[in-house]
Amino acid sequence: MPTPSIAAGAYANVARLTDPAAGLAKGAGEGAGGTSFGDMLKNVLSSVAEQGRKSDAQTQAMLGGKADMIDVVTAVSETEVAVQTMVAVRDKVIEAYQNIMSMPI
Amino acid sequence: MDLMKSIAIAASGLRAQSGRMQVISENIANADSTAQAAGGDPYRRQVATFQSAMDNALGARVVKLGPVRTDPSDFQVKNEPGHPAADANGNVHYPNVNPLIEMTDMRDAQRSYSANLNVINATRTMIQRTLDILKS
Repeated sequence: MPTPSIAAGAYANVARLTDPAAGLAKGAGEGAGGTSFGDMLKNVLSSVAEQGRKSDAQTQAMLGGKADMIDVVTAVSETEVAVQTMVAVRDKVIEAYQNIMSMPI
Repeated sequence: MDLMKSIAIAASGLRAQSGRMQVISENIANADSTAQAAGGDPYRRQVATFQSAMDNALGARVVKLGPVRTDPSDFQVKNEPGHPAADANGNVHYPNVNPLIEMTDMRDAQRSYSANLNVINATRTMIQRTLDILKS
């Protein structure tokens, strides 16, 4: 279970990740005329951050004796799935990028 | 995602069974609660009911704890003339709580809770296995 202080650091990191993604969206989206990869990444990151914030709020409410333990468990497991999916997609994309970069020209 | 939905549905089962557990613990705790005044009625056993409800946000039928009803069966009568709640004949009405029935109900609630937990665990495993494809 993420403690609030660790979680706060993690969200700050995710929020910092969102900003370069905005820059990336501007660069990559120009002339493409569709949803760019940067846009998609930005959306995914913000939804993951949002879910993390929700589960953290539930955890804090439970520690304050206001929320149900069952709500905390479902919220945390939802966030866990969202973060794992995001990390897996990121790893795949970076792997593909490195494959292209190491291509002999 | 459908798998997250089934986790939420199983969570509604957990919530309902924990509510039932609360009713059972009230019954067991009040098994000896007699009336305050002489000849009055003691604690009456409560029964939890379940009902299926449509969760519009989730788009699925979840289980909810229905109204908690009272058990209309007869009270136990014991002859204790010295008891403050005894009537003119020395009889005291004790609650219609049978510890054996409560124990069986409790075991039932426990098993249902475990079954819902198993659904959550199995669903989590399915999600993880699917994600493993993306990772490899």
